[in-house]
Amino acid sequence: MTERVRSQLVEVHLVDGALAPKATPPPVGAGAWLVFEGIVRPSEEGRPLAALDYEAYEPMTSRELRRLAEATRVEHGLLSIVVEHSVGRVAAGEVSFRLAIGSKHRAEGIRAAETFIDRMKKTVPLWKTPVYQRENG
Amino acid sequence: MRVSVLLFGPQATLAGARSVDVDVAAESPTANDILAALREASPALTGSLAMSRLAVNHEFAAPDRPIGPGDEVALIGMVSGG
Repeated sequence: MTERVRSQLVEVHLVDGALAPKATPPPVGAGAWLVFEGIVRPSEEGRPLAALDYEAYEPMTSRELRRLAEATRVEHGLLSIVVEHSVGRVAAGEVSFRLAIGSKHRAEGIRAAETFIDRMKKTVPLWKTPVYQRENG
Repeated sequence: MRVSVLLFGPQATLAGARSVDVDVAAESPTANDILAALREASPALTGSLAMSRLAVNHEFAAPDRPIGPGDEVALIGMVSGG
């Protein structure tokens, strides 16, 4: 059996468009491997949504995501943290954000996921603009 | 001094532009001076400025951070985070 060893504890990727399905193996030594995926909802404020347009401000966006990921890894004693976020247009129903956290036990991994996402929305330069479906077809 | 401030996402939509030029009287303006000038230059942004910070050369700027010629200034509004 081959075993992939992650070369980095923290990875950050900005990806054009929707995130493709992906099965990443957990880090060596993990007792928990949490993968959270954020999906573009089909409606926003009661209006049918076609897509969200995500905008980043590079290189600041990647730098702030990496800082936050590293701070979260240290604060919660994680084994690894992998962040993927879309830029550009992502249709309703598609994945625009993926957070994968490897930890020795589930408790710190779950806490870290909550912390990371809350802080990301407050401190990382990433914006979304709704693209609504046409009202009459 | 005239400073061009980059806008993104919903704030760019509100202002109807990707950047706003502001004139500041101070010889050595600070990030706070730029935010105050933005309120004057683009009233459409006023409501969202309380949830915004300035970035200078891709780093968040403290309110007293001086702004010089050639600095890249961006309005980072946490109004619709990812």
